[in-house]
Amino acid sequence: MSAYGYDAVVIGGGVSGIMASLTLASGGFKTALVSRGDPVCCLSTGCIDVFSHSDEPLSGIRALLPDHPYSLVGEKGIKDALSFFLEIMAEAGLPYEGDPGRNRKILTPIGSTKNTCLVPRTMAHADMPPGEYLHVISFQGIKDFFPSYITSRQRNSTYSVYDAGVPTTLGIAARFDDASFLDAFITWLRGLEIPHDRVALPAVLGTIDPASVMEKISRAIGRKVFEIPTLPPSVPGLRLFRALKRVLQSRGVHLYWGKGVTSVECQGRTVEAVTLATTGRAKRVQGKAFVLATGSFVSGGLFAGRDSVRETVFDLPVAVPGERKDWFNTDFFSGAHGIERAGVRVDGSFRPVETDLDNLFACGSILAECEIMSLQCGHGLAVATGVAAAKSCAQGLS
Amino acid sequence: MTTFEHCVRCTLCVENCPVFKVNPAFPGPKQAGPDAQRFRLDGERSVDDWVKLCCQCQRCQVACPYGVNVSEIILKAQLKYSREHMSPFTAHLFANTYHLGKLGALAAPITNAVTSSGAARKVMGVLGLATNLPMPEYRFLTLNRGRRRKGKRRSSRKVVFFHGCYLGFNRPDIGRGIRDLLAGLGCRVAIPSQTCCGLPALGNSDLEIAKKFARKNARMLVEYIDRGYQVVYACTSCGLTLVHDYPEVLELPEGRKIAENTYNVHEVILDLLENDGCSVEFGEVDRTIAYHIPCHLKALGIGYPAAGVFERIPGLRTTILDDHCCGLAGSYGFKKKNQQTAEKLGTIAASAIKALEPDALISDCGACRMQLGHYTGLPALDPSEVIIASLEKGASKKSRGKRRIP
Ligand SMILES: Cc1cc2nc3c(=O)[nH]c(=O)nc-3n(C[C@H](O)[C@H](O)[C@H](O)COP(=O)(O)OP(=O)(O)OC[C@H]3O[C@@H](n4cnc5c(N)ncnc54)[C@H](O)[C@@H]3O)c2cc1C
Ligand code: SF4
Ligand code: SF4
Ligand code: SF4
Repeated sequence: MSAYGYDAVVIGGGVSGIMASLTLASGGFKTALVSRGDPVCCLSTGCIDVFSHSDEPLSGIRALLPDHPYSLVGEKGIKDALSFFLEIMAEAGLPYEGDPGRNRKILTPIGSTKNTCLVPRTMAHADMPPGEYLHVISFQGIKDFFPSYITSRQRNSTYSVYDAGVPTTLGIAARFDDASFLDAFITWLRGLEIPHDRVALPAVLGTIDPASVMEKISRAIGRKVFEIPTLPPSVPGLRLFRALKRVLQSRGVHLYWGKGVTSVECQGRTVEAVTLATTGRAKRVQGKAFVLATGSFVSGGLFAGRDSVRETVFDLPVAVPGERKDWFNTDFFSGAHGIERAGVRVDGSFRPVETDLDNLFACGSILAECEIMSLQCGHGLAVATGVAAAKSCAQGLS
Repeated sequence: MTTFEHCVRCTLCVENCPVFKVNPAFPGPKQAGPDAQRFRLDGERSVDDWVKLCCQCQRCQVACPYGVNVSEIILKAQLKYSREHMSPFTAHLFANTYHLGKLGALAAPITNAVTSSGAARKVMGVLGLATNLPMPEYRFLTLNRGRRRKGKRRSSRKVVFFHGCYLGFNRPDIGRGIRDLLAGLGCRVAIPSQTCCGLPALGNSDLEIAKKFARKNARMLVEYIDRGYQVVYACTSCGLTLVHDYPEVLELPEGRKIAENTYNVHEVILDLLENDGCSVEFGEVDRTIAYHIPCHLKALGIGYPAAGVFERIPGLRTTILDDHCCGLAGSYGFKKKNQQTAEKLGTIAASAIKALEPDALISDCGACRMQLGHYTGLPALDPSEVIIASLEKGASKKSRGKRRIP
């Protein structure tokens, strides 16, 4: 059976691949998104780090070297992409807030604070002015969330524990979707007569419409309420992914989920089709242009062997900083680990360099020189490069 | 295929497990699958009775970015557990949907009366069956008794329709619609006599019955494949059983050949429209529909082909919902121990549908339609019903010309 044909085929369903697909679909191109599995986004805090290494993301980005992917997108491109993201999230019913000019703080489950840029509305009140009082609500038996970590680090804070009947964050979140559970919780909470300025909970305020759940609680007790992201499985990460996917489908992007690209067909300088390892038999998906967004090592876009680093779909050349001994470093979290700079190098139009393929573009954490961990720029870079690569791809198509 | 050793413990599978979300007794796919697998030894008796709480929706496997065969590990652990422990009567009853269906169809009026009567429901309760859902009705005029061949004899496109039990016994009208639809689009359609795909037997850990059914179907299907036919299915669970379980779980020698030649009916329709230059006119269908994607369509990894056909229907407003398991999962939700899980999941999936305020819901799976029709109170349709309605309208619009669709 011959294949179904698209204008553009995006490979990899992470934040970068989704943003690229949305950009292409919004431009009227018939787009398919293929992904082997769920993206890193589902494990994340759900907050968009643009450049959390410094307090002002844009000025931090300005100081980057010209070969950093952000420099290729440019400041205007970054701002436009982030506003596009905010629009999408509003449309999806999971509103985000924030300003690329200035970072804000969120509270972590160990009681420290963390810089980030765009946050879901349920974390908007996490940036507390000094001197305010905080009351934390925890849940009976919940794993990996210890309110005493927070109260020992945050002055003026106390906590109480509610029994939701289930111990897991996902289980509790599913209960918050239920109006009668929420009412019972609110009744209990009001009974506490909390005098503090703000109330924080682990991020479990429902899977569907957390902003409304938060507002309902906030109104009932007359306090500002916010969520604290938890360790994976992460409810806010899952919400972000599902919201993006909803918009994707409402814009007519076709999803092929759960099976990876196992081979590619090229004719001269053109990629013509990719083959998916669908259950039982392979499926060909044809396109006029392709966007590679398979992520870095965690998602399998890059693979580190003993002697080299490989790109796993097209076998593109991978830029690695120097010899293995130069980037080998026993402290993975040192911040300047060479492996963080490994990846696919692209030109100003997001086409991989040193290949002769004209209709292939790349975006997201697979790109060289990202340094996502040390600069803390994960989702932000995925949004900015996803949109930029798609725009360039759209230009090639028309 | 990767194995449990490739698991990096990222918990992405856990985020997608419907049962884990609502039933604290189930430890989730990571623990039930790769984590527990390293302690399961051939000679040692299983003690993990919770492994039976998995409904085999396969959402975990779809989510895993490392290709770990999570739900397959769990299925095999379920089979091992059942081999070592006596399985109750209910399992055998559902393992035999086919015989149940055949009997039910022969005595359709009686079966329907019995399964819906109050006394029968009490008996079911004793047998460990849940009673909140109306049991499927059986039809007297099953597909096996309808017309077995249709379409141009010399057509280059030959398909053999694997309709399965639900379309065969409970909704033969939908089965006949699909037969006529394919024939109208220019296919030669054969509907040979067939038995259950074997999934209910697998779901109830009755490997022997599953294999018996599968071997019979496999022999028949391969004969057709060798004569140039493609196998098409409409029920996505039957489809997944043919392409995944026949080669991988039941290890049939013909499994690979069947997997490589089996297609979803809407893949075939799209191909006819896109590549075979089949020209038909889709008439307007002014409806708002929620398209609930069955878990097993997701698991096939072929995308959502019916949605590609819906796009061509003017006036049709479709929203795809693919994050929820309906909770029935074949016979899973009919069992008493799963009743609460099925109820909770049904309610969650139904509220996602109702939030869209649609005129109807659509699903490729008969079980989803039964469950979600019940929990939403909406008409629950097979994709083909909407496609046929549109083509009939298109055909009547240009009825002065040649009518293509019967
Ligand atoms: C645990 C963790 C937590 C993080 N938390 C945050 C956070 O809170 N905020 C933040 O801003 N950033 C965070 N980051 C960083 C950020 O998540 C990533 O940098 C960013 O989301 C990467 O997106 P991506 O689209 O490039 O790739 P990915 O999200 O990695 O997606 C790649 C996709 O491609 C698919 N794929 C791979 N190979 C194939 C193939 N052969 N065929 C088809 N599909 C394939 C994968 O299955 C995957 O779905 C975190 C990272 C990690 C690891
Ligand atoms: S998604 Fe895959 S790798 Fe991650 S925990 Fe589950 S089985 Fe392991
Ligand atoms: S198959 Fe479904 S129910 Fe079973 S563990 Fe996987 S996700 Fe959970
Ligand atoms: S999966 Fe298909 S063949 Fe099998 S019982 Fe269900 S309807 Fe019947």
